[in-house]
Amino acid sequence: MSSKLKLLVASSSLSLVMLCSAPAFAAGTAQGTGITNNVSVNFQVGGVAQTQQTASDNFVVDRKVIFSLAEKAPIATTSVNPGQTGQITTFVLTNTSNDTLDFTITPSQLVGGTAAHGGTDAFNVTNLLVCLDANADNTCDAAATATLTVNDLIADANTTILVVGDIPLAATNGQVAGVSLSAAALNSNGTAITVATDATVNGASTVETIFADTVKSGNGGTSAARDGIDVATDDYTVQAAVLSVFKTSRIISDGVSSSNFKSVPGAVVEYCISVANATGGATATNITISDLVPTNTTYQAGTIRVNGTVTTPGAGQTCAAGTVVTDASDADGGSFGTPANTVAGTLNNIAGGNASALIFRATIN
Amino acid sequence: MKMIVQIMAALVALAGASIAAAATPLQLSSDVFVERTISRDDGTKTMVLEKPKMVTPGDNLVFVVKYKNVSAATANNFVVTNPLPPAVTFDGTSDGLEVVSIDGGKSWGILGNLRIAKENGATRAAQRSDVTHIKWNLNQPLTAGAEGKLIFRGVVK
Repeated sequence: MSSKLKLLVASSSLSLVMLCSAPAFAAGTAQGTGITNNVSVNFQVGGVAQTQQTASDNFVVDRKVIFSLAEKAPIATTSVNPGQTGQITTFVLTNTSNDTLDFTITPSQLVGGTAAHGGTDAFNVTNLLVCLDANADNTCDAAATATLTVNDLIADANTTILVVGDIPLAATNGQVAGVSLSAAALNSNGTAITVATDATVNGASTVETIFADTVKSGNGGTSAARDGIDVATDDYTVQAAVLSVFKTSRIISDGVSSSNFKSVPGAVVEYCISVANATGGATATNITISDLVPTNTTYQAGTIRVNGTVTTPGAGQTCAAGTVVTDASDADGGSFGTPANTVAGTLNNIAGGNASALIFRATIN
Repeated sequence: MKMIVQIMAALVALAGASIAAAATPLQLSSDVFVERTISRDDGTKTMVLEKPKMVTPGDNLVFVVKYKNVSAATANNFVVTNPLPPAVTFDGTSDGLEVVSIDGGKSWGILGNLRIAKENGATRAAQRSDVTHIKWNLNQPLTAGAEGKLIFRGVVK
C-alpha cells in the first residue's frame, strides 16, 4: 500500500548550470561495470530531523558480443581482367560489443551459386589470401596470408579487411568469381569465448558473455544467429576482350584482265587480317600481328597498312584505308622481314564492338 | 526546497538487496530487477521481472524502493533521494510524482519544466536521458507501521 504522495515543486523554470554531454556509444556500458543503486531517506520525528538511512543494491553488466562484417562501400563487383594478380575485394568489420575483442578472419570461395551482386559463380580466383588494411588505403598493411587475426578491436571501432586473389588467364568475359569472408569473435587475449546460454544461471556479480548476433541469409552471406560468427560476401567480374581474327584475300590485278581478276602467276593479292572485338568486350591493347607470307607468293614491298577499316569482319569482309608503314623494323607499327618473310604489325587499341585490320600485298609467283 | 543534510553515521553499503537493521526507525530496501519478455506456449508474450543475473546494454531495469516505519513514532517530511547509477538512463517512475535533477542533485524540478543549455547558448527541454537524480517528497506523515514502495525504470546504457 503506497502512501499518497503530493508533489512539492522544488522550483520551476530552472535555468541550467551544466551542459549535458552523455556520450552515446552503440556498444554500451563496458562489461564488468558495476551498477550500484544507492537510495537515501531523510525524515523527521516530532519535528526533529532523524539520522539519514540508506540502502543499496549492486550487480555487474555482462558482456554482449555483437559485431558486423560487411562488404565495404562502394557496394559493387570488382572488375578484373584475365591474368591480373593481387586483385582485392574490401570488407569492413565493426565491433559493437561492450568489450575489446579479437577476431579470426577466414576467406573462402563460392562454388557455384549466386554471388554477392547477383551473378552466377563460374570460376575460382587463385592464391586466395586475406590481409588487414587498418589505414583504409586499399593496400595490405602487411603481406596477405591464408587467414588473419584482428587484434584488440575496441568497442565501437571498425577496421578494413581486404581479400586478395589472382585471376586465371583462362577466365572469359563476364565470368564471376564469388568470395566469402567469415569473422569469429575471440577474447582479446586470443582465447575462445566461453558463452552463457539461456540455460546458464549465474551470479549477479560475475560477468557472463552472450552472443547477440542475428541470422543472416541471401547473397550477402549466410550466418546462424547467436554463434559469434558473421559472414559477408563480394565478387569479381571478369572483363576480357573477345577477339576474333579473320584473314581474307582478294585479287586486285592480274596483268591481263580488266575486271574479275584471276589468280594467275603475276597477279597481285591483297591480304586483310582483321581483328574484331565483340560488343561488351574490354578494350584490347598492345595488339600485335605476325603473318608468314604464304608460299608461292612474294611480298610486294611497301604495301603494309595498319589500322585499316573493316566492314563485316569475317569471311566476307571488306578492308580499306589504313596507314602505310615502312618495311623497315622501326617504330611506325609495321615491318617486313623480321623474322624472315614475315609481315608484322601493331594495331591501335580496339574497344568492344570495333574492329581493325592489317593489310598487305603479295604477287603470285 | 533544500534537503535537510544529516550528519551521517557510517554509511552501510550492502551488496544485493539490503534491509536496514531493525534498531533504526525505518526499514529501507532497494532492489533491482531486469525486465524480460517471455514467449508462452500459446504464442503470447509476457513481461517478467528477474533478478539481474545476466544484464547487457539495452536491457530494461526496474528499481523498487520499499520503506516501512518500524518505530513507534510518526515520521514527517519524508524525502527519498535516489541518484541514478551512471550506467543507467532514467525511464520514468510508476507514479509520476517525483522531482528530478539534471545537474547532479544541486537543483530539482519537474522534468517537463527543466531546460538544458546547448553548446550554442540556446536551451532545450530536458529529457529523461538528462536526469541524474530522482527524489520523492512524502507530503503526508508516515505513521508508525505504515509502509510504501516507489518504483522507477531505467535502461542500461
